[in-house]
Amino acid sequence: MKRINLMSTLMGVTILGAGLSGSPAMSADVTITMAAPDWPPTRFMKEHFDQTYTSPDGHTTTLDMDFIPWPSFYERVAASLTSGEQKYQMIVTDSQWLGAFVEGGYYMNLTDKINQDPELTAIMQDLHPALVSAYSTYPHRTRAQLEEAGEVPAPGVNYYGFPQFPDTYVTFYREDIFCNEGEMAAFQEQYGTNLPCSYEDWQDTDWTKWGQIGEFFQRDAGEMLAGEELTEPFYGIAYQAGKGYDFSTMQVNAFIWQQGGDIWDESKAPEAQAEGVVNSDVSVAAFDEYLSYLQYMPPVAQTGQMDIFVIQDLYMQGKVGAIIDWVGLGEPVLDPSASTVHDKSAFGPAPGTRQADGSIDRTGNIGGQPFVLTTWNSDEVVNEALNVVKWWLNPETQLAAVANGGQSGLMSVMAMPEYNDLRPWNRAHVEMIDWQKDVWHIPEFFEMLTQQQEEFDKAITGQQSAKEALDNVAAFQQELLEDIGFIE
Amino acid sequence: MADTASTKGGFGAWLLDPKRRGALLVTPAILILFVMNIFPLLWSFGLSFFNYKASSQRVPRFKGLDNYGDVLTDEKVWERFQTTAIIVSSSVLLQLIVGFLLALLFAKAFPMRRIVLMLVLTPMMLSFVSVGVFFKLFYEPTFGVVSYVLNMFTSEPFVMLGSPQGAIIGIVIADAWMWSPFVMLLVLAGLVSVPKYLYEAAEIDRASKWRTFRTITFPYIKSLLLLAVLFRTIETFKLFDIVYIITEGGPGSSTETIAVYLYRTAFQFFKTSQSSALAYFVLFIVIVLTNLYLYSVNRRAEEVN
Repeated sequence: MKRINLMSTLMGVTILGAGLSGSPAMSADVTITMAAPDWPPTRFMKEHFDQTYTSPDGHTTTLDMDFIPWPSFYERVAASLTSGEQKYQMIVTDSQWLGAFVEGGYYMNLTDKINQDPELTAIMQDLHPALVSAYSTYPHRTRAQLEEAGEVPAPGVNYYGFPQFPDTYVTFYREDIFCNEGEMAAFQEQYGTNLPCSYEDWQDTDWTKWGQIGEFFQRDAGEMLAGEELTEPFYGIAYQAGKGYDFSTMQVNAFIWQQGGDIWDESKAPEAQAEGVVNSDVSVAAFDEYLSYLQYMPPVAQTGQMDIFVIQDLYMQGKVGAIIDWVGLGEPVLDPSASTVHDKSAFGPAPGTRQADGSIDRTGNIGGQPFVLTTWNSDEVVNEALNVVKWWLNPETQLAAVANGGQSGLMSVMAMPEYNDLRPWNRAHVEMIDWQKDVWHIPEFFEMLTQQQEEFDKAITGQQSAKEALDNVAAFQQELLEDIGFIE
Repeated sequence: MADTASTKGGFGAWLLDPKRRGALLVTPAILILFVMNIFPLLWSFGLSFFNYKASSQRVPRFKGLDNYGDVLTDEKVWERFQTTAIIVSSSVLLQLIVGFLLALLFAKAFPMRRIVLMLVLTPMMLSFVSVGVFFKLFYEPTFGVVSYVLNMFTSEPFVMLGSPQGAIIGIVIADAWMWSPFVMLLVLAGLVSVPKYLYEAAEIDRASKWRTFRTITFPYIKSLLLLAVLFRTIETFKLFDIVYIITEGGPGSSTETIAVYLYRTAFQFFKTSQSSALAYFVLFIVIVLTNLYLYSVNRRAEEVN
């Protein structure tokens, strides 16, 4: 009995000691289920997590990624959240969804956590401000508003997300035809300007030249292209012009912003108006210019179905000379098993609008996704999820992600000398990220987006003019936003 | 122990009493039906009187019949009903014509009839998603097979989905391709049920082909054709998958059926209560059509008897 008592006492002391010191003996298994779109950047995250992640708190942590195909991603996440099943601890989310799901009570406000944790604060300070603005703040704060605050995290701002994959659109082009001497000479002769071949040439490419490229390379079967006879029609250019999701808005916004127009500015609510802004003369001219280049694009543009995946596909089939598409869709282009142009492709910044001083404005609509935490997690899961965030946004992990087709939003990582050489589009991505702005984040964004996409689609398919489309968009937004109190 | 056994036996016997056996057998089905169908139906009916949004955790406010009023006065809803009506009438008509002609073909014996019949029936066994994707690729103007074939004659890419009319035709063709075999099956059932001696008598009387069809064949297939029309009308009225995949309702909203609009309202805009009201409106129309369908089924049964 004496011996048993001694053993019990020793065990009790051991357990108490372990509890006080927080040693691994008391750590639990933690499973973080994350909703993620099914594509290389999230697949790599899972793979790399399984290979390298060790919990600093001594947990045995499992990252259970629920890979969801892109076309049904929003519906699946929305259905899960609104059904109350509380399945996910973390979610890869489009930045536009922040308002709907923050107001719904599903996304966790991380402001206090960031303020209290020096490591998270340092991460936020190192993130590119365009990403912090787009991916993290709700109510939305613009980059200018955040920079005006002078400190990160800015006082009075609520933060929700961290970049899982910061995306920008860049130009994918066929080096074999754009650098073909015969084609270059013919282009020079026809337009009196050079055909962009090098990265530096693309830095000096504006929309006017983009249109010239489209016209120049639009060729029928039987015509010659870079010294070879074409067996099927070839097209010079393509950019997104699809009815689905945001597959025209993202490109149209670039034209509008670059020419000095604007969308309804939620950061200036309730004073900001939709009528007179969305359909201003500048915006109409910008949208008209966007529409004017569609004639040089593959005929699918006339159906309003030329989305980001369609142009990627046409480019990989060798039917288009240059496209403007997301960096996140670049990896398959270099895959010999999927792409006929894997060894002929190069990347440059997206074209922009030339300003009076000769510079080019490349303002664009940011892509990519942040990841967020959900509100029903226990403290233990929240802390471990934030450990996963720190692991993912660690420079070493970020470099590995970039080398495998991902991107980094950390300025320190993007400034590393080896960064640009990790993937062929990195230089363009770094150049483009500084130009990024975002579309609306309010809960009604989907209603606004769907109506806008419909109106844009009618203009793209020739059923109405740019002015009619933007007038309809402005009227709809004005009424909707007045009804819900975002416009006084 | 003996008491317990007798109690168990007693309950078992009571439960399996022939008077209760029927109720016992249908109880699981009724329970599943209640949980999966009736409860959600009643719940959504209740929701249609509130201003509930599934994306928000705010307490819903009672709105009475406002949502029904909003739905009935919403121009977009009526536009979507018009689009649906155009697609339904065109598609069902095409299915009838093609299905009828196929049935006439398969009513006669010819070599490899069974194999060809099986092939013809294949489309209706495919999933909507597959059919949608097939036709979207068929219609693709750069590399799609339709454009490829027409390009041989016109030397221009054929952009089928570029106009509202073309997009509607594209959807109608896809839907008719999938469901004409169903109409064919129904009509074929009618055709093979015509007694051969009637045709022999008509031949002896030297009746024309048209008169034979009008006075002998048509009366036998008439009620089956009506069944096909009603059944396909009800189904096509709810058409969602093919439209969503081929055109996503475009160009603009020219092919957006009421089912697609309902989906957007409920799951993209999260106007849960308003979409419930709209769903009840659609349900009412489907119930009316279903009653017509049941009426014609009953009439067919009476005719057969």
